[in-house]
Amino acid sequence: MSAAPASPGALLQRCKVIVCCGAGGVGKTTVSASLALAAARQGKRVLVVTIDPSKRLAEALGVDRNPPEPVALHPERLAALGIAAPGSLSAWMLDPQRVSDEVVHAQSRTPEEAARLLANPIYRNVSAMVAGMQEYTAVEAMHSFVLDDRYDLVVLDTPPSRNALRFLDAPERVGAFLDKRIFNLFVPGEGSVIRRVASKMLEKVMDVAFGEDTRRDLQVFFELFSQILGHLNTNQHDMQGFFRSEAVSFLLVTSPDREAVQEAFFFEKKTREELGLDLGGYVLNRSLAWSAELPMPAAVRRPADASPALASALHRLAPLAQAEAQLARTHADLARELRQRAGTGGFAWVLPRLPDGAGALEALSGLADALIDPDTRPEA
Amino acid sequence: MRFLDRRIHLITGKGGVGRTTVTAALAKASARHGRRTLVLEIGDPEGGYSQLGRLFGHDQLSETPVRVAPNLDLAHLWAPIGHEGFLRSVLPGGPLIGSALKSKALRKFLNAAPSFHEMGVFYHLLMRLEEVAPGGGPAHEVIIIDMPATGHALALTGLPDLLLGLIPRGPIAKALRRGQAFMNDPAKAAAWVVTLPEKLPVTESLELLEGLAATRMPAGGLILNRFPHDPFDADERAALDAFMARQPVHGGLALKRIDQAQGAADRLRASTELPIVTLPEVWVDDPVPVLEQALHGAMAGGAR
Repeated sequence: MSAAPASPGALLQRCKVIVCCGAGGVGKTTVSASLALAAARQGKRVLVVTIDPSKRLAEALGVDRNPPEPVALHPERLAALGIAAPGSLSAWMLDPQRVSDEVVHAQSRTPEEAARLLANPIYRNVSAMVAGMQEYTAVEAMHSFVLDDRYDLVVLDTPPSRNALRFLDAPERVGAFLDKRIFNLFVPGEGSVIRRVASKMLEKVMDVAFGEDTRRDLQVFFELFSQILGHLNTNQHDMQGFFRSEAVSFLLVTSPDREAVQEAFFFEKKTREELGLDLGGYVLNRSLAWSAELPMPAAVRRPADASPALASALHRLAPLAQAEAQLARTHADLARELRQRAGTGGFAWVLPRLPDGAGALEALSGLADALIDPDTRPEA
Repeated sequence: MRFLDRRIHLITGKGGVGRTTVTAALAKASARHGRRTLVLEIGDPEGGYSQLGRLFGHDQLSETPVRVAPNLDLAHLWAPIGHEGFLRSVLPGGPLIGSALKSKALRKFLNAAPSFHEMGVFYHLLMRLEEVAPGGGPAHEVIIIDMPATGHALALTGLPDLLLGLIPRGPIAKALRRGQAFMNDPAKAAAWVVTLPEKLPVTESLELLEGLAATRMPAGGLILNRFPHDPFDADERAALDAFMARQPVHGGLALKRIDQAQGAADRLRASTELPIVTLPEVWVDDPVPVLEQALHGAMAGGAR
């Protein structure tokens, strides 16, 4: 492990890839974009890869129309965001079908085979038909971005699902489709008499269940796509070691909600115990922990000329303030717990609730500042 | 809130809006109205604990319903059960069905293709809908499903049209159309969008409504969760704002949230004709009983 102090700022200096994981709705994309913004301000050339950004953030990043290539933020926007050369910020949205099409073009044996596969109805819905396509294509894209010397750092925002980390599993597990047995189901090869009888039987089952046309479409698909999967598989293998190297760090993003925290702990167990990955730390988003030290209304001296309206308003405010103070304390306790869980090599980094409607890059500026200097208390 | 006269309810919404808690409260309210109710979660092949189950004291769910309260059963939808049910329904008996059910390759394939995995979930739901009670009538009069994150929910509601595009004929197509007869009929089925009275969640819930409409899933309405109570009159509020501008104290955030909530609710009402059920913000560890009470009332009368 590096001797650098555990902090988001140090992480940005050390890493080539940062992966943000967590439950849905905790602000993963916001945190990813803030990290990217902070790194770009440090002079890094940064690419943020998102899966499912909100419309507003997609517009802010310029990827709302699903561009084929990463989109670089305009120099004027960069300057307005406090990013100076050589720093830069680009964004890209993962589109599994598009990445897959490119691999088909590049890897098919002949242009005719590529055309035949691209026209196959099963292939036209490859994400819906082949489990793990999102993971495969994410790794495929990361593979090319990491080799691409246009970027110093890639921030990857993962989809809000429990299998978001499946791309770190052994490729055999990602693509159950690579299973030889499934392949043989549609493209039976040579074998013993018993096996041939069994596969004839299954062919009948398939014809009844799927209909003959679909069974044939599936057959063509399996014949042609197995080679493409083989290629994806090779890059997948290459990346496994890389994802476990010091150049890559994983952040668990959570909100203070009980359900989200439980999901984060589930991810922690997965990353550490099952996948053997190094956890960079926790990000506790939308926390009230920063305001834990505010006074209660009753503890503040009222103006001598306090109106009756103010008196009754303060009276009514008391229970709300009580609840808020209690929540702030709970959040502060949670922050401490996360710090403990992160351990000596990690950190737990606490972010405030952003003003309503955050999502535009400008609104993330404060978060980006707080990233670099953990003592900065951003405006809640 | 037209709820009790429909058979199927899909409870949708982004992560973090309290969807699972609302699902549990809806199920309890429906059961308390005397409907034989089944509350379902979609089983996750990746495993882990069940969020819905935990609200009823069960860490894990299975495909066999367990009774958790009078009139209320809890279970999950499990793709392999749907696959088996489907194969049994289309294959003639004898060796064909035996080799189909024994084939590990076929099972693996059905689970490895997301659409066929979802087809299993869909068919399992269809089996539950067509299940008959010992004394006649449906085994469960109301079926409520906690739908996973937005993308998955739309994948399931969009499944019939997607698969019918791929497989327009044959037994799969027939099963899908049978399911559509339930799911796309506003008299029988409704999707509810759970959201929060904040700007971004409201925007996202309006997008989700568009997505549901694109998959021909009828919408029942919106459930505006965690709506903060506003205890102040106009004079009090003005005095308080002036005071807080000079002296920040705890409670300031509560004021901001009250304003945001009102703005978000106004925007929602201006953007949709659908019924909107508002649920209060509850500062207790277990909000289900309070929400159940509110929803029990909303089910009895209209709400907007």
